[in-house]
Amino acid sequence: MLAIQPAPNSVVAASPLVSVNNVQKTYFTRQAPVQAVASASVNIARGEFVSLLGPSGCGKSTLLMMMAGLERPTGGSILLGGSEIKEPRRDIGIIFQDATLLPWKSAIENVLFPVRILKLPIEPYRRRARELLALVGLSDFENKKPAQLSGGMRQRVAICRALIHDPDILLMDEPFSALDAITRDQMNVALSEILETYKKTVIFVTHSIREAAFLSDRVVVMGGRPSTIMLDMKMPFERPRRFEIEETSEFAGVCRQLRLTIEGAHGGQASQPPAARGGVIE
Amino acid sequence: MAESVFSSTGTGTETGAIIAAPATSAGSGLTRLRSAGLPLGLAGIVLAAWQIAVTLAHIPPVILPSPASITKYIFDHYDILLMHAVPTTVESAAGFVIATLLGIVLAIIITYSRLAHEALYPNLIFFQLIPKIALAPLFIIWLGIGSQSRIAFAVFIAFFPVVISTAAGFASVDKSMLRLCRALTASEWQIFTSVRFPAALPYIFSGMKIAITLSIIGVIIGEFITAQAGLGYLIIFATARADTEISMAAIVVLCVCGLLLYGLVALSESIANRFYSAENT
Repeated sequence: MLAIQPAPNSVVAASPLVSVNNVQKTYFTRQAPVQAVASASVNIARGEFVSLLGPSGCGKSTLLMMMAGLERPTGGSILLGGSEIKEPRRDIGIIFQDATLLPWKSAIENVLFPVRILKLPIEPYRRRARELLALVGLSDFENKKPAQLSGGMRQRVAICRALIHDPDILLMDEPFSALDAITRDQMNVALSEILETYKKTVIFVTHSIREAAFLSDRVVVMGGRPSTIMLDMKMPFERPRRFEIEETSEFAGVCRQLRLTIEGAHGGQASQPPAARGGVIE
Repeated sequence: MAESVFSSTGTGTETGAIIAAPATSAGSGLTRLRSAGLPLGLAGIVLAAWQIAVTLAHIPPVILPSPASITKYIFDHYDILLMHAVPTTVESAAGFVIATLLGIVLAIIITYSRLAHEALYPNLIFFQLIPKIALAPLFIIWLGIGSQSRIAFAVFIAFFPVVISTAAGFASVDKSMLRLCRALTASEWQIFTSVRFPAALPYIFSGMKIAITLSIIGVIIGEFITAQAGLGYLIIFATARADTEISMAAIVVLCVCGLLLYGLVALSESIANRFYSAENT
């Protein structure tokens, strides 16, 4: 870990921060074992933004939960800075589809929640919480309860909460998929702005091709039954990213290639009834 | 350009909040007057109708005394009524407190032990189907005629709603929230104190509000069966002598005591809410 300097925009680093080696995950249900991830290998460098893209049920969230230490792989290993992830670690920030804020707490107290759980000193972090909330444009809302905030504002609070204890890695599980399209676009720009200030390694799960292409340094397409990694593609766009890149033909070309990969993996099976999909046994 | 995205959404919602705030505060004065005035007005009309009906139809006081004569009795004999109100209120409060603690502890056990959940929960549901009031005389056999038998019976009928609603409250916590806590390496104790328990509070208090009324019912039934004092005793005693006025006066005092206890529960709920929304928890 010490050898690697934070190298913004350098996609290839000497040794990866996160290393996913031939990871498998099989759930043993009462009927039959269900293979969520057949085999996945990805290396992620420090400071890199990598999206896991794929349709629902392709195992991308499962892979993310294994990186968070919330699930154990049934085969292979996940290394973080050289040591295997076997349980949750303090240096990971996590964001879910729903903001999952404590409804009885104000925005700033929700941001400080990890600080209390990790028993860190509150006062210095309170300053940081204010900074983070200011960065996402919520300075005037720090004492508001979640019910008084819009969906996009709540998710911004959740992002601040994930960043408060300055984790090395941000794991984001479809963080904007519950938001409306306009708010979602705003959140994509907001997130890339936040990451310009607080450089983080991000692993971002999404089923939106555009979102993945817009945000990422690399997009990893997962799919197939059982699920594997279909494509690992570098995004050729400059940073900082703005809406305008979505209008370029280059962006359209990248999206097209990602879509064709997903359709190639699921094209023959997309029309099959759910029963056929449920019976994935290996 | 960073500001443009944020400020546009920021001001949009801000104006929304500013418009919304005075609208609610201006409305609350009128709404409060209305929400207090309407039920009081209706109660007044019913009492007036009662008074007029009793007077005009010459209903004998032994059948139905008038509100005026009941009120007069209460003011003339408040010392006797108060003397009987004290044991009833104290025993109800004791039964309620024990039922609440027992209910919360059982709910914690059910929540954290799968074995206990599977063994206990179906039995609790079955238990609820027993017409528990029918067991009241047995408590006299088991525990004697003292206040302990009435308190035990009050606990017996009052703890159930606390267990069920508290367990539902503990289970109501969002799964993502629990995953977030685990991802942050939170201990079970931290999850309980900072997430599960505060999330369950509204459930716990709704169980407690049912428990307080059931506890009073339990004590009154106990007093019906055997007691030397208490409002239940007074009601049975007066009714046996066809002194309906005393019975009615005792019932009125009982309502006031019940309202008082209920008010204390509501008050502790708002204190608990304030505590958990404060900064230091």
